[in-house]
Amino acid sequence: MRIPRVWTRGLLLLALALYTVYSAGPFAWIAVMSLRTTSEISADPYALPTHFHWDKYLTAWTTSHYGTYFWNSAVVVVAAVAILTLIGSMAAHCLARYRFRGNRLIYFVIFSAIIFPPQVIIISLFQVLVEYGLFNTRTGLTLVYISIQLPLTMYLLEGFFAQLPQDLYDAAKIDGCSDFNVFWRLTLPVGVPAIATTIILNFISLWNEFLFAVVLITDEEKRTLPLGIMKFMGDQMQDIGMISTGLMIAIIPVIVIYVLFSEKLIQGMTAGAVK
Amino acid sequence: MPLMSAAPETLPLSARLMARLRGDSLQSPWGAIIFFLGPALTVYVAFTIYPVFRTFYNSVHIIKPRGVEEFVGLANFVTLFTRDMVFWKSVTNTMIWSSLAPVVDVVTGLLLALCLYAKVPLARFFRVAWFTPVLITYVVVGILWMWIYNYDWGIVNVALRWVGLGAWAHSWIGDPATALWALIFAHAWKWAGFNMVVCVAALYALPTEVLEAAELDNCGWARKLIFIIIPMLRPTLLNLLILSFLGKMKVFDLVWIMTKGGPLWSTETVSTYVYKRAFEWSTFDLGYPSAVAAVWFLVVLVFVLTLSWAFRQRERLEY
Repeated sequence: MRIPRVWTRGLLLLALALYTVYSAGPFAWIAVMSLRTTSEISADPYALPTHFHWDKYLTAWTTSHYGTYFWNSAVVVVAAVAILTLIGSMAAHCLARYRFRGNRLIYFVIFSAIIFPPQVIIISLFQVLVEYGLFNTRTGLTLVYISIQLPLTMYLLEGFFAQLPQDLYDAAKIDGCSDFNVFWRLTLPVGVPAIATTIILNFISLWNEFLFAVVLITDEEKRTLPLGIMKFMGDQMQDIGMISTGLMIAIIPVIVIYVLFSEKLIQGMTAGAVK
Repeated sequence: MPLMSAAPETLPLSARLMARLRGDSLQSPWGAIIFFLGPALTVYVAFTIYPVFRTFYNSVHIIKPRGVEEFVGLANFVTLFTRDMVFWKSVTNTMIWSSLAPVVDVVTGLLLALCLYAKVPLARFFRVAWFTPVLITYVVVGILWMWIYNYDWGIVNVALRWVGLGAWAHSWIGDPATALWALIFAHAWKWAGFNMVVCVAALYALPTEVLEAAELDNCGWARKLIFIIIPMLRPTLLNLLILSFLGKMKVFDLVWIMTKGGPLWSTETVSTYVYKRAFEWSTFDLGYPSAVAAVWFLVVLVFVLTLSWAFRQRERLEY
């Protein structure tokens, strides 16, 4: 090597540090601004806080409808993820463990939805929900969320369930287990690693979902968190400091989940693409 | 037949016999199959399959509120292909986006992954810092980047003025010449981390003997990358390119939050155009936007089939 190793290493670390500033810097900036008042920010947007205004979090929570948005997001997402996990693993169990005519056809039809551009269903979903009386309801949004996350859920679970050793299933059959008990007592407990992955992945995707929520929900009291942030930003206009606090409130739960379950989450995200 | 494996011929003979014997004594498994598949299929048919067909039905109609429908044949498509300049603008923008961004995404992701794989100091911290943008909702990302691009106090212009290039300071998303690039950049910021974690997973799945053999042959980093790592990661990289391409073909959220397709349609994408025509413009017609959506669905489908076919051919040649 002609260039001393120390130099290349130093350059590499410098590049990485710069990339880190670019990728994580915006969060640090928002976090700092969330503790400063707007007048402090307009004096110098990039200064560190001289005084920590923790009370801004309380103000952001109470003056906006953050409590309502948070609750709506929680209800819709928890219900959707719970139902998805149950019916998704039932269907995946069926496709992985039963042989019947049309098995692969059903698998293909469901899986092919992964490539759908969402706008191909958004307009007609609006019509359909209006006709079913589910437009602008949290139930309607929950059902739509179940449907849009079903393909990925089934893809991940089917792959895992199909690899479970057949001996387990033979043993259960010989012990006289009913079809339902095979699913409930065998597939579900053994499939916990894959199921946990899908739960976390679905939770984060739906928590962040924007397009379907913006079309299917119009009432103030039914807004989910991403819609609420948009509304909050519109209301606060130029109050940069307060909006930053609002953004931090939206970021924190996702970061907490990431810190707690990062391995599972990354497994789920990479499962589809690594070959 | 009762519960069966996906590949029954791999079972021991005794188990197969057992299954055959028990098959007669048990009722048909169709009850169980319907029980297991029923709920998922019902939701899926009602909220995905039926709407897809409904969109195609819509596309040859004019759909007014309160169920007023009028059959217009291919008129929507004729207008779309011959007179709708905004549609073609949105197609151009989406195609620019989805042909450039996948390369940027995957190259950044691969480079970052190689750094982590090479065990740079603080790798754990770097991984978290680089991956976090993936998890943040587009609403937050959009607002954040609107501030970063702000003319007066956004960091881009502040930095330019600080190094004495104040003349280059720009209203990045307010100028039709730069708005699309500004959005592509912000979108790439969010997705680099995803490509990175996938590449890291693929790198750790590589057989280490090959890399060790290369090391023994005194092979440098660059050559190892070009002649060994990239060819072996090929399937993963192709998958990532296709995923990223698909993602860009449907891009909506970030555009809607930051520019709503403006200024002067310079950031209009097909998705935002469909949304605008259906729910923002007071044309009260859902038929025309459905035609746009239907055309775009077919375009995406053709691309996916072509890409996967083309890559499958290559694969067969190489291995």
